[in-house]
Amino acid sequence: MFDFTEEELNRYSRHILLQDVGVEGQEKIREGRVLIVGAGGLGAPVAMYLAAAGVGTIGIVDGDVVDLSNLQRQIIHTTPDVDKWKVESAKETINAINPHVKVETHREFLMADNALDIIKEYDFIVDGTDNFPVKFLINDACVMAGKPFSHGGILRFKGQTFTHVPGSACYRCMFKSPPPPGAVPTCSQAGVLGAIAGMLGTIQAAETLKYLTGVGELLTNKLLTFNAKTMDFRKISVKKTDKCPICGTNPTVTKLIDYEQAACDLHK
Amino acid sequence: MAKIIVNGEAQEVQLPATVADLIRENNVAQPDMVSVQVNEEFVDREEFGTLQLNVGDEVDFLYFMGGGAYV
Amino acid sequence: MATHTLDITKEHCPMTFVKTKLKLAQIAAGDTLEVLLTEGEPLENVPRSATEQGYNVLSVEHVEGNVHKVTIQK
Repeated sequence: MFDFTEEELNRYSRHILLQDVGVEGQEKIREGRVLIVGAGGLGAPVAMYLAAAGVGTIGIVDGDVVDLSNLQRQIIHTTPDVDKWKVESAKETINAINPHVKVETHREFLMADNALDIIKEYDFIVDGTDNFPVKFLINDACVMAGKPFSHGGILRFKGQTFTHVPGSACYRCMFKSPPPPGAVPTCSQAGVLGAIAGMLGTIQAAETLKYLTGVGELLTNKLLTFNAKTMDFRKISVKKTDKCPICGTNPTVTKLIDYEQAACDLHK
Repeated sequence: MAKIIVNGEAQEVQLPATVADLIRENNVAQPDMVSVQVNEEFVDREEFGTLQLNVGDEVDFLYFMGGGAYV
Repeated sequence: MATHTLDITKEHCPMTFVKTKLKLAQIAAGDTLEVLLTEGEPLENVPRSATEQGYNVLSVEHVEGNVHKVTIQK
C-alpha cells in the first residue's frame, strides 16, 4: 500500500504535504488514466501539468505535425520539433518532465468511428481541440459512454471551460448544436494571445487532478468564462436541461456525428 | 425603466422587453450564435422574440468559443 | 492498537513530514507512531504539521543529544 520509491516521495513531496492530497491522493493520481484530445494550445499545458503531477497514464490524440506558428502557445513543442508528429513531440516532453508517466499516443483525429473506442480505456477526458465539430463529438461520446470530461475553448483574449460528470450539464445543454462552418471565428482567423492557452489549460489540468483526487468542487453545472483584458472571471450557473438533444429526456442525437469542418479548419 | 442583470452587471432596460430586444440593445455580435439563460433556465431560440423580461431577471449570454488553428 | 516507529533523523525538510505522512497512511486508525527526529526544522515542523493536518500528537520528548521522539496517534 502506497508503494512509492524515495525518488517519487521527493518528486511529489509538494503534493504529499497537502492535507487534501497526501500519499492517498498521489496514489489516485498515479492510478489515473487521462486522455487529452489535441496536443495544441490547450492540450500542451494540460499534458505538461498532468505529467508533472504524476498521472500514471496519459493518452494523447492528435493527427497533426508541429508547425512554426504553433510555438507561440503550444509550449509542449519546441523549435527543433517543427514538422514532427505532435503526439511524438508531446510524448518526449512528457517523459522528459516525468519518466514515470506512461504515454499512449493516438496519431489520428477523433472521429465518429473511433471516438468511443479511444475514450473507453480512460477515466477522464480533456478537450484540447480547436474546432466545434470535434467539441460536440467529445461531448456526445463522453455522454454516451458515461465518461467525465473537461471542455475548453479560447479566442483572442477570452477563455471558457466547464467540467462534465455523468448527470451534470453537458455542452449540448448550453449549445444545442455546432455553429455552421465558418460562422464563428477561430484562432487562425481572429488570433489568440498565447498565454490565454496557458490560463485555460492549467484550469483544465487542475480540474482533472481534482477529479482524480476528489478534492474541492468541480466546475460542474457551471461555465467559467474569463476576459484576460480585464482579468474578469465569471462562473455562470448552468443546469442540465430536459430539452437537451443528447442528455435530456427525449434525445434526438443517438449516434456520433462528424459535422462538417470549416474549410480552414481542415487538417492536412 | 427596470433593472435587469446582464452577464453579472446591472442594466436599466425599458420594459416591456423581450430577450431579442435585449440582444439587440447589447449589440451582441452574433445574435444567431448566442445561447441565452434567463434566471438559470435556457431559452429556446424560437422564444427569443416572445419571452418577456421582468424586473430583477438575471440574463446570461453564452458564446461559442472554440479556439482553432489550421496548418 | 499497535505502535510503529519511524526514524527520520537523517532526513531533511520537507522529506521529514512527507515520510511521516507516508507511514501514517500505512498504519491502522488508532495505532501510534513514534517518530525519531532531530532538533531544528524537523522538531519545529513535524509536530505542528501533524496537528494542523488532524493527527493527534500525544507527546514530544527529548531522547538524547539532538534526537527527539514525537508520538502521534492516527
